[in-house]
Amino acid sequence: MKQNEQPEKATRRVRKVEDPKARHQRHEAMEALKMLDALRHDFSKPLSSMDYFYELFEKVYCRREKLHSAKPMVGTLCIQIPYEIIYAMDAVPVRLCNGFHTNEQSGGEFMPAKSCSLVKATLGMLKQEDIPGVDKLDYLVHPTTCDQKTKSISMVEEIGYDVYHMEFPRVKESEESREYWRRTIRKFTKDLSKDLGRKINRRSLKSAIQKVGKAQLAYHRLNELRKLKSVPILGKDIFLITNAFFFDDIERWTEMTLAVCSEAEARVKEGTSAAGKRSPRILYTGSPPIFPNLKLPYMIEQADGVIVADESCSANRLFNDMVSVDEWFMYDMVDAVADRYLKGCTCPIFTKNDDRKRRLKELIESYNVDGVVYQSFAGCQVYEMEQRSIQQQMEALGIPMLYVETDYSPGQGGQLSTRIEAFMESLKVKNRRKQEG
Amino acid sequence: MPYYAGIDIGSTAIKIVIIDKDANIVGQKVSGSGSMFYKYAKESLAQLVQDIGITLNDIVYIVSTGYGRKLFKEADETISEITANAFGAVKAGESFGTIRTIINIGGQDSKAIGLDEHGHVVNFAMNDRCAAGTGKFLDVAAAKLEIDVEELGECHFNASGTPLSINSTCAVFAESEIIGLLGNEHSKEDIVAGIHFSIAKRIIRLAKKVGLNGVIYFDGGPALNAGLVAAIEDELGCELAIPEYPQITTALGAAILAKEGYSYSVSKELQE
Repeated sequence: MKQNEQPEKATRRVRKVEDPKARHQRHEAMEALKMLDALRHDFSKPLSSMDYFYELFEKVYCRREKLHSAKPMVGTLCIQIPYEIIYAMDAVPVRLCNGFHTNEQSGGEFMPAKSCSLVKATLGMLKQEDIPGVDKLDYLVHPTTCDQKTKSISMVEEIGYDVYHMEFPRVKESEESREYWRRTIRKFTKDLSKDLGRKINRRSLKSAIQKVGKAQLAYHRLNELRKLKSVPILGKDIFLITNAFFFDDIERWTEMTLAVCSEAEARVKEGTSAAGKRSPRILYTGSPPIFPNLKLPYMIEQADGVIVADESCSANRLFNDMVSVDEWFMYDMVDAVADRYLKGCTCPIFTKNDDRKRRLKELIESYNVDGVVYQSFAGCQVYEMEQRSIQQQMEALGIPMLYVETDYSPGQGGQLSTRIEAFMESLKVKNRRKQEG
Repeated sequence: MPYYAGIDIGSTAIKIVIIDKDANIVGQKVSGSGSMFYKYAKESLAQLVQDIGITLNDIVYIVSTGYGRKLFKEADETISEITANAFGAVKAGESFGTIRTIINIGGQDSKAIGLDEHGHVVNFAMNDRCAAGTGKFLDVAAAKLEIDVEELGECHFNASGTPLSINSTCAVFAESEIIGLLGNEHSKEDIVAGIHFSIAKRIIRLAKKVGLNGVIYFDGGPALNAGLVAAIEDELGCELAIPEYPQITTALGAAILAKEGYSYSVSKELQE
């Protein structure tokens, strides 16, 4: 520091300070556009039927157009809230789990420094009180799934929302848990109907179950193609499609997903592959990639990997298990819906998680997986903790696994991409040696 | 005669190795990477080529690696520094026996790489984003202690008794810890030794994730620091294999891959 000098005079630039809300929305739009551009233009052989989805995200996050009108909107803050019940009341569920770095930063004020990016971003988005794609939120449902979600309920209330607390058990196998969760769903069905002033009956619930079932079947049809030796669709597109399910009109979504299926199936007939000949086949598991935080799938596929399967709550887990009804009576259907959401859940919040391991093993075998990429959001304790047992399982199966801890910050490219590229390179060497015998 | 170049554009330095058809090193150069990776790398390559009396046209294949690998447009191929490091270590460490673990400390990251008996990468671990326990951390500490980075090694051996404990290897937090230790009248030598041991403990934790097997090879700029080498050896309880030029292993690996890449592309052309 210079000594004995006169203090310096401040110089100011004449400028207008931008309105905070407009600035926030501008940042969101920039973030969305950057990812959409990358997903759309940085890969060869794009599927033209994907244009619908690219445009949908642009419409919602860049142009901020509203999607649904004249129907009550039910915001959900976790995958565990049954869409079937909401559709049965002719209301629209919108999953609000958020993937924006801009929101992660603004929501950071509510949470400890090392906590889940998704929870922070969701709080940041709710704080804005202008939810992309949603005109007006009529209802908000928050489950007591993981600790951070559970504890953030009070912060959502602090922002000024009325929140419906949905109780969720932490043990999956016991009969008590099953009964407890069924009671939760029965109560939710009654409460939602009363609060929204909308009736639910046998016919409407059956048709809602079928509507969701059709969407699931479309996803399953698409996923079957990923089992093939030459995969016609990249994982980055699959994540975008499943992310759109969070908020899109379900019937339009199903129709557009089937259009992608048809184009991909035509590709299979032509023998065109979306990936390279030697691209390692990757199973993605862990914290959910939610638009626009698709940087990890993007990096994996930029590094010549191809995501052929995933086990995450923003994709596979949304569709994997179907409602299985014995008899189409009200009481049986509601319980069957409840069962689908508890039994099929492979979230790491449970005491034991043998189901997750079973599913990973099944995916590895049926999708012919070369390596696993496990992402945990920094501060997501359950995923961080379960990494250990999954690592052990992969060692036993002889499947290499890359564990990465990330958050929503976009500036992590260098180190992360180095790791991912090195992982893909090592899988390729392994495959080559296997071929050479 | 054809030559092959490996260019490792790191956060702190650009390392270039040129090899001939028998994989002998004919030229090597280390220069600062500053803020213009691409420009400096190009200049450095031009200089090296001139120094060893060949022309750029004699270099038939270039592989770039390191943070700036994608910026070097003239490269025929890019490869991650982990794969390149493994290839380089196997070559540079031939005389030490079969290398199964590589410890690398760079300007802004540190990593451990596990190799199988053929020298292929089986697993690796890297530090997370921050520059904790890396070359950058040594720079910051040396600057605060008003000594040159080159003097750190000598300082280490002049420390007295039990080394001080530095709890944070974060470049920013450590500075305030160092200030605290200086405030308690600890000598520079003791502080330097404390820093080396804290880095050593950290890197060994990382290396244990990939498993410590066979010959343990240590490279990267900080491997020039004899004090740090000693600290890691003390913490490990065994000797490390240090190559003659620890900074250029990764560039050498890239050069070897350039040679392989060239013969592969030629054989593919012949087939077609």
